[in-house]
Amino acid sequence: MGPRKAGEREMLESVYSMIALVFVLVACVELCDAATVVDVYRLIQYDISGVPFGSRLAALNHHAGSLHSAPGADLSRTVLIIPVRDLDISFVKEYITQRQPLGGLLFLLPRMFSFENRDDTKSSHVNQGELLKTVVAELEQLLIHAKIPYPVYFAFEDDDIDAVLADVKRNDAIGQPATATTGGFKLVVSASEPKKLASPTITNIQGWLPGLKTDGDASQLPTIAIVASYDTFGAAPALSVGSDSNGSGIVALLEIARLFSILYSNPKTRGRYNLLFGLTSGGPYNYNGTQKWLRSFDQRLRESIDYAICLNSIGSWDNELWIHVSKPPENTYIKQIFEGFSNVAEELGFGVGLKHKKINISNPRVAWEHEQFSRLRVTAATLSELFTAPELLERTGGLVDSRHFVNETAIVKSVKLVAESLARHIYGHQGKNIQIFADDSGLAVNPSYIRSWLDLLSRTPRVAPFLSKNDPFIMALKKELEDHTNEVNVQHEVLDGMFTFYDLTKARLNIYQVASVTFDLLLLLVLGSYLIVLFSFLVITTRGLDDLISLFRRPPSRKVKTA
Amino acid sequence: MTVFHFFNCAILTFGPHAVYYSATPLSEYDTLGTSVKAALVYLGTALVKLVCLATFLKVSENDSFDPYQELLKALIGFIDVAGLYFALTQLTHRNISQNHKFQAVGLGWAFADSVLHRLAPLWMGARGLEFTWDYILQGIEANANLVLSISLAALGSLMWLRKNKPKTLIPIIYACAVIVATMPSITSYLRRGLGWHLPKVVGFELFTSLVMAIISWQLFAACQRPSA
Repeated sequence: MGPRKAGEREMLESVYSMIALVFVLVACVELCDAATVVDVYRLIQYDISGVPFGSRLAALNHHAGSLHSAPGADLSRTVLIIPVRDLDISFVKEYITQRQPLGGLLFLLPRMFSFENRDDTKSSHVNQGELLKTVVAELEQLLIHAKIPYPVYFAFEDDDIDAVLADVKRNDAIGQPATATTGGFKLVVSASEPKKLASPTITNIQGWLPGLKTDGDASQLPTIAIVASYDTFGAAPALSVGSDSNGSGIVALLEIARLFSILYSNPKTRGRYNLLFGLTSGGPYNYNGTQKWLRSFDQRLRESIDYAICLNSIGSWDNELWIHVSKPPENTYIKQIFEGFSNVAEELGFGVGLKHKKINISNPRVAWEHEQFSRLRVTAATLSELFTAPELLERTGGLVDSRHFVNETAIVKSVKLVAESLARHIYGHQGKNIQIFADDSGLAVNPSYIRSWLDLLSRTPRVAPFLSKNDPFIMALKKELEDHTNEVNVQHEVLDGMFTFYDLTKARLNIYQVASVTFDLLLLLVLGSYLIVLFSFLVITTRGLDDLISLFRRPPSRKVKTA
Repeated sequence: MTVFHFFNCAILTFGPHAVYYSATPLSEYDTLGTSVKAALVYLGTALVKLVCLATFLKVSENDSFDPYQELLKALIGFIDVAGLYFALTQLTHRNISQNHKFQAVGLGWAFADSVLHRLAPLWMGARGLEFTWDYILQGIEANANLVLSISLAALGSLMWLRKNKPKTLIPIIYACAVIVATMPSITSYLRRGLGWHLPKVVGFELFTSLVMAIISWQLFAACQRPSA
């Protein structure tokens, strides 16, 4: 009796554990069978001196909604899908500034902003593009400078997501917003909490082309520096390719390096100036990298720099470039540089203007790269198509800065301008009408070199905290400079503590079409009644109607039986 | 809720079998053993069919309808009939009447078919967040299959177990048996050759299964009457 009971109890326990296991298995719902999966790019999340900006969350698990939903509807558990083409910026501004609760935002960008899509520009495209550019630029600035407590993602328009959006709009128009009880689409991004990036590195790459030192020279040769910053900052760090700011500058610097390396390879044509090429990082953050690079210089080297030319956004101009300086225009050196440039520009058929902006040492804001040089008393100027100085985190190669809007011929003209002006200064041919880098010569500017580097840059997002020390792109730049110069140095620094960044820039969005709970309940009701009808039908046909009725009647009482 | 949907589809697919067992006199006569044995025979038949298919069939690249392949599949489908014959005649059953024997065998056969062909896709698919109508249609198909299996078992028992049949009805019995046995080939022809969508195919299956059930019921009733 005893052992048998114990055995039974054991069996019961094993049965219970089996049932528990079955329940656990049933509870594991797989989430990997979505009808649509889309690549999405997250809005940047960063702090400036502890003040948070950008989107603070990454994980998403809410129903989809569109802008056509009824005004005043509760959207705190809805993700709004907004195509940028139909964007009403005031609506978004209102939502963000008034801190209204929202489940999430998904912006759909037209394919022309994608670097994977390289269809040729048509004239109608260009007009449409300009309008979209201003809207997206405004949106970008709004999102970067706001603190948004829900996830914000960007995606490119494609057929799948357009179909989903059309369905969502139709449901919203009927007045049936998607919630747990009314079905619709569910957007799911499974991501963990974004973590701070510890000690983001910025890498400066410099190349040195030494000039011709004859035996009589005891002192150091003068140096001319050509500098461009190569990193970007934008609303979507995984999409910040910065073709114009500052892809155009990098490409121009590499081409100038190539041309001068040809000249300097032969001692007979080597100039009496050293050339220093600098590819700096940390540009959007008050040119932090340039400052650290200059601070690392030897005192002698710094004093030997005659002047520095910084290149910033020279890829989409038509007729006029600007030279920005911080020393007053009456300064002799500035006058000399400007005259050289404007003479060459006149010959090439466009104009160059001079703009002076005083620097304020107490203000930490550094608007142009040459200001970092000027703070250390080195003469410098920035060549740019921009007329006014950009604000902090403005025009730093964000969403709108795609390959589509950059013009190679503008870069070619800029390269000709800088190379020719520098060469005339180096070889002492100022004022003479001699074309050193003439077309059809061995020293002609190579448009295909420019085009291939520009295409590469337009496919590489370059936000500095997300570029590791040995990122393949940095290695590629280093290798390219090594080809053109004698000595290349790579300097790794840590980005200033004022800026803190968080990871998680890319994710995959799963879109599920879900049925509502009411549908499931209805189905259960229908099935239940079907089974009951089937049961009754079978009982009636096989055993007779009496049997069916007898199932519901209580058995006759004992008294009747015994009687 | 997605587990809810799985539960709904499960009761649609497997509920009718349980209901059939409990509603008809099968439960009174405790014919569960027969059904279980029939299910095991179905398992064996499925294995044999699998081996034959693997040996004799070529894998086609596209999903079109190849008549020779389909003919081969139909021939292999007759192994099903052989299996049913084995279940009806060769297995030793307890003392059950003809009437209940074929029902029990048909029920066990259909239940094994549903579990083998429909449980795994249901488990994998219906629990996800994404909603499709496929699993509900699959459940309706399982219902139609139940009716067809019972009809086939009825016709089979008429053919092999009943000795004295009215002469006129014999060809009809055989014709109906052939139609029911080749039902899988017909549905696959409709799906691939004519390109019908799943709801249409399921509707067709439902309709034909009801028609065949009525015909086999009439035939069975006719054979039960003592021959004049």
